Amino acid sequence: MDGILKKIAEPSLTVIGYVILLVLLAYVLTPLIWLFITAFNPKGGPYLEIPREVTLDNFVRVFAGETPKEGARTAARSIYIARWVINSFVIAFATMIITVALSAPAGYALSRLQFRGKELLMTAILVMGMMPTTSKMLPLFRLAAFLGFIDNLLGVALVIASGTIPTQIWILKGFFDHIPREIEEQAWICGCSYLSTLFRVVLPAAGPGLLVVAFLSFLSGWGNFIVPLILIYSEPLYPISLGLASVFVHNPGEIGLAIDYGVACALSVIYAIPPILVYYVFREHLMEIKLGKVEIR
Amino acid sequence: MPEETHRLTLVLFIIPALAVLTVFQLVPMLWAIWFSFTDMALVGRKFLDYSFVGLKNYEEALGDPHFWLSMRVTLYYCIASLVLRLLIGLAAALYITSKTFRGKRIIAGIFLLPYIIPGTIHPYVWLSMLETEHGTLNMILRALNLPPQSWMFERLTESIIAINSWAGYALAMLLLASAIASIPKEYYEISDIYGASRWFKFRKITFPLVKYPLILTLILIFKEDIDDFTYAYMFTGDTPYPDFRTEIIGLYAYHKAFMDYELGFGCAIGFIIAVIVFVLTLIQLKISRV
Repeated sequence: MDGILKKIAEPSLTVIGYVILLVLLAYVLTPLIWLFITAFNPKGGPYLEIPREVTLDNFVRVFAGETPKEGARTAARSIYIARWVINSFVIAFATMIITVALSAPAGYALSRLQFRGKELLMTAILVMGMMPTTSKMLPLFRLAAFLGFIDNLLGVALVIASGTIPTQIWILKGFFDHIPREIEEQAWICGCSYLSTLFRVVLPAAGPGLLVVAFLSFLSGWGNFIVPLILIYSEPLYPISLGLASVFVHNPGEIGLAIDYGVACALSVIYAIPPILVYYVFREHLMEIKLGKVEIR
Repeated sequence: MPEETHRLTLVLFIIPALAVLTVFQLVPMLWAIWFSFTDMALVGRKFLDYSFVGLKNYEEALGDPHFWLSMRVTLYYCIASLVLRLLIGLAAALYITSKTFRGKRIIAGIFLLPYIIPGTIHPYVWLSMLETEHGTLNMILRALNLPPQSWMFERLTESIIAINSWAGYALAMLLLASAIASIPKEYYEISDIYGASRWFKFRKITFPLVKYPLILTLILIFKEDIDDFTYAYMFTGDTPYPDFRTEIIGLYAYHKAFMDYELGFGCAIGFIIAVIVFVLTLIQLKISRV
């Protein structure tokens, strides 16, 4: 009886259910499969086909920067592709370091301090981070021009970090809230100095939180497009996002005409690897945070 | 360590973060409001020597047929994306929360993929779908004896919507899946004992309990769509299509400021977006505290 009840309460997938699932999977995967195949195809185009030979040539060309196909749009730019990858790493690492360095102390302090208007300050911080980039981008350009941040990778990282800090402060405050105050007090009583309490006791205890924040901020630096679009104008300083877009963007009506698909797909695959790794390693952690009251994007 | 010193140290800990936030988030936002009342230009004399013009930019925007064209495209883009992202996300959420279905962890991993990879890759991966001659979509249409479409030109707005919904349904999936998973199983078991139909269970149990997460999802999706013009930009470049087919509002502000050099006008449009997003954010904060 119990078994029957269970069966009714949780019906297994019907035939229609499986058909819809297959359609969904095809919808999700077909474009990605093309990307993956074409990255290894010496003569790829914008259509699905099984390559006659498999090669790593495209990846070599991303880093070696030799001249690609005759007349391809990447021709003038390919010499910079390796630099785009490095630039993206620089921006992502700098974003990560700035974000952690600023939001960890702030998150800790907001977790320990009690004062009037704290709720309001926390909400104000969150709302600041949620204001649309589109409305801030023009004054940001002016501000960046004033500060000398145009064509400056660290400037880009600082601007991106300022956008991620609000949510990261919230996440870290949550982690610090779970570390009991008594541990710190014990350390002080045992003669531990203030700073070494922070570095030897509090920070290690918040380790998982710091790690999550570090990776999330790394990814927002790695994937950001709009901030570099507004602040970076010289091609050797493009991050991958801007480089991919510059190869793609054409005058109206002639999209995709002269892209060197092999190189573009190889670069895209390289570009997609770090986020995928991070998400699948930290999946449980990230899901929890994302589904909580804080939203990571 | 004396209590007062401790408190002072903690206050010092907050200041750097607040300073950066103020300089790079708050000041630009306030500046955007101020600039929107001036005739500031991106280049030339008016970059520094601008003057207050009152509501002129807003009047100009509201009287500008291009602004309304852009609004129409934006509305079409946002609503179509909203519906698609929600429906696909809901379907996916039902699979990854299904209790009997094996392999849902793998499926969930696959469903997450498009949302995880950086946005500038999305238009590339969709080229193979949209291409006119051998593209997958047109192959399917031909196989079904339907006329192939010019996805990359005439149907460009729809194509960008398709890319956006493919890239973004996972947000709805994650939020709805967690909402569905948090419904106590006992509710369904009891209604089964009384012989409730599936539709009844959905109407009386699932839907009421998922209502607030659903509204939250709608708001988050809308905010993402109205703010992000990556795909529209990549398919348009630096000059808008004459009929504005891809000119969603963010891209319009960008073109106005960086191509027509009308920074003040661009800020006015940006401020209109900010007001919409601000109101939605307040509703969102209210709901997520329920």
